[in-house]
Amino acid sequence: MEQARLYHRSPARRRWRSVLFAVAFAAVLGSATAQTLTLAMSAQPDTLDPQLTSATAAFQVAKSIYDTLVEVDRNGEIVPALAESYEVGDDALSYTFHLVETTFHDGTPLDAQDVVATLDRIRDPDTASPKASEFQAITSVEAVDDRTVVVHLSEPAPALIASLASGWGAILPSEKVASGHDFGNEPVGTGPFSFVSWQRDNAVTLAANPDYYQGAPQVDEVVIRFVPDSAVQLQGLMTGEFQVIDTVAAADQELIESNPDLELVRDPSGLALVAALNTRREALADPRVRQALNLAVDSQTVLDVAYGGGTPIGTFMEAGSPWMPDDVEPFGFDPEAARALLAEAGWDSGVTLDLALPQPYENHIQAGQMIQDYLRDVGVNAEIRIVEWGVWLSDIYAGAHDYDITVIGHTGKLDPTGRLDGYGTEATNYPGFDDPEVAQWLEEGASETDVSARREVYANVLRRLHEGAPFIYLGTPSRVHARAANLEGFWITPLLDSFDFRTAHFE
Amino acid sequence: MTRYLLGQAVSFVVTLWVVLTLVFVGMRALPGDAATILGGMDAGAEQIAAIRERLGLAGSWGAQYVGFLGDVVRGDLGDSLRERRPVTAVLLDRLPVTLALASLAFVISLVIGVGLGMLAGLRPGGAVDRFTTLFATAALALPEFWFGFLLILFFAVDLGWFPVIGLPPSGLSWQASWHLLLPAFTLAIPRSAQVARLTRALVLEQRRADYVRTARSKGLTGGAVARHIASNALPGVLPLLALELGGLLTGTIVVEQVFGLPGLGATILGAISARDYPVVQGVTVLAVVVYVGVNWLADLLQLAADPRLRTA
Repeated sequence: MEQARLYHRSPARRRWRSVLFAVAFAAVLGSATAQTLTLAMSAQPDTLDPQLTSATAAFQVAKSIYDTLVEVDRNGEIVPALAESYEVGDDALSYTFHLVETTFHDGTPLDAQDVVATLDRIRDPDTASPKASEFQAITSVEAVDDRTVVVHLSEPAPALIASLASGWGAILPSEKVASGHDFGNEPVGTGPFSFVSWQRDNAVTLAANPDYYQGAPQVDEVVIRFVPDSAVQLQGLMTGEFQVIDTVAAADQELIESNPDLELVRDPSGLALVAALNTRREALADPRVRQALNLAVDSQTVLDVAYGGGTPIGTFMEAGSPWMPDDVEPFGFDPEAARALLAEAGWDSGVTLDLALPQPYENHIQAGQMIQDYLRDVGVNAEIRIVEWGVWLSDIYAGAHDYDITVIGHTGKLDPTGRLDGYGTEATNYPGFDDPEVAQWLEEGASETDVSARREVYANVLRRLHEGAPFIYLGTPSRVHARAANLEGFWITPLLDSFDFRTAHFE
Repeated sequence: MTRYLLGQAVSFVVTLWVVLTLVFVGMRALPGDAATILGGMDAGAEQIAAIRERLGLAGSWGAQYVGFLGDVVRGDLGDSLRERRPVTAVLLDRLPVTLALASLAFVISLVIGVGLGMLAGLRPGGAVDRFTTLFATAALALPEFWFGFLLILFFAVDLGWFPVIGLPPSGLSWQASWHLLLPAFTLAIPRSAQVARLTRALVLEQRRADYVRTARSKGLTGGAVARHIASNALPGVLPLLALELGGLLTGTIVVEQVFGLPGLGATILGAISARDYPVVQGVTVLAVVVYVGVNWLADLLQLAADPRLRTA
């Protein structure tokens, strides 16, 4: 600990920087009116400790409080962040990061020890991080000097950089890590906003960090309100209580578009929406049956009606992903061909499939109802069963895999390993897809460092997932949010879906 | 009196034990646990086992049950699995919101209910009486959340007099009372209808009583007679009020959801879906204590208010 102290810069210098920033800040604002940006989101975080959660909602809030070594820019590219640069060793077995100068919200300067402590923490079995496996290739993390960190690997792990750019790669202050600080309730990071308060089921309040290393944010305060009901979100947006809402019902889109004070923003999301087919079940074991079910469903209509628009996909990767092979097309809607294929496969029309839908997601339920109708048209009966989220996770996604069909969205991943890991072996994926060659390719892809070779390997996997069809591929929905028309500079990180308030300001 | 108190204490302990056991078993019988839910779609079996270990869910049900009862006896409700802090801290955070909402609703239903009931009972067949009957029928027939939506639509969206949702981000403060009025009215409407109906019936009964006839024959009029009637009729409303007060806490679950209020109702719903067993158990303990306590208080109040019961 004493050793680490030696590397700290003098507080006087920090104070000067704060004064400069404050002056610049006041100049930008002109007047002294404090600006608050209020966003309403439908889900809420379980914790604000970025390493103890896997919930998108947690990272959406935590994004403003913490920084990562590298991050995703508006084009989805991974760019430097707390590490102003990094080099990969010749053997791809080490990464060297050079850190920027900045301070945590508690006033301690960022140094290499913080990176060591953070990466050790997420790998520590006692931490029990749901994301620990993404860091398992790391053998040690070494602080060379106060600005340089080397991460040593046991084998090449090209996906690691994506994990470091994701919310769970957030860098925490080493002193607080050592003292067992409760980051879940009192987060401390280097981010553009510092934590003020969190009232569960109500709001998180954040204050602008005038010392932020990329420049102070332009709004003084961000309030994130938790509002599950989309109608209430919309009402709040119209009355000016919220300036951004993250959920817009398909039926309300027109209303927002016709209001000059509001703006509807439609971005491609990172989601791959699917109706998973349990290939372990006799009725669904034949790939021809699964292909037929794909042909039976008009995925564009499902996307439009249940999700407010989107782009169909033909395999297990979001539309627009650089990993999506050019030669894989969506199945298309052809009930005639579906019937023919079912007949060829000897489909038994006496079978009723169990269509299990996750209760908190209204749009998945609506999609499931539409799928039920489409399947009925080709002579496949499905009975809808709505299950609560905890049941879905434990009985359908994991455990006994007790379902025939279920509808879900797989969230964005910066690297294909995150999406495809385990999809070659029956026991490690919920549709029970089994293909030794796919398993082999996935193993190759995880350690292949040549980008084009890697792309080819994953293209093979994705083609096979198209043919084998362990899913009815629905598509990538648009991520629709609405905002006050005079709000500029707010954006949602592609693929990771986290909110970025750094350049947000009112015109 | 001692026997009465002792009986109450025993029935309280038994009620608490039965309810807690039901909640304990019921929660664990639900598929999935806090570890599965925290792990989400990304964590593998290994990570989920590690999380389960960290949360102390790795032991058998029996061991967990014994540990849990022991803790309750010592007054310890454990730590929230999700929030990683003591359940008592979670409850103390949330209780004020529910308490503020419930007491506001209680006062409103008392004023409206007793007021309307008295007026209706004193002038049966009059305009107020007819209105009260209509109001009571409508209020009891329609679900609570429906009134909530109606109030939001009219007063918050159309008129813009009230905020659409929840508490201000700063939490419970004097400004918050403005936020609490609509949800409190939503809660109070069906309850005031019940109170009004009972009050009306009790007042009508008293009106026919001999002492009223005597009083009138002695020349007493209007206000003085009403005071007599009130002092005899109102203690009869107390048990219902106690029931209402206990029921208010469950009513807040729905209303807090509709209005997005961060009270105990929102807590217990969130805790159930996150399988945060200690929090669900903690809210249950609190609910039993409040329910039993309030009923007991009502009994005592009724004893104090009605001398005839004391000799019984």
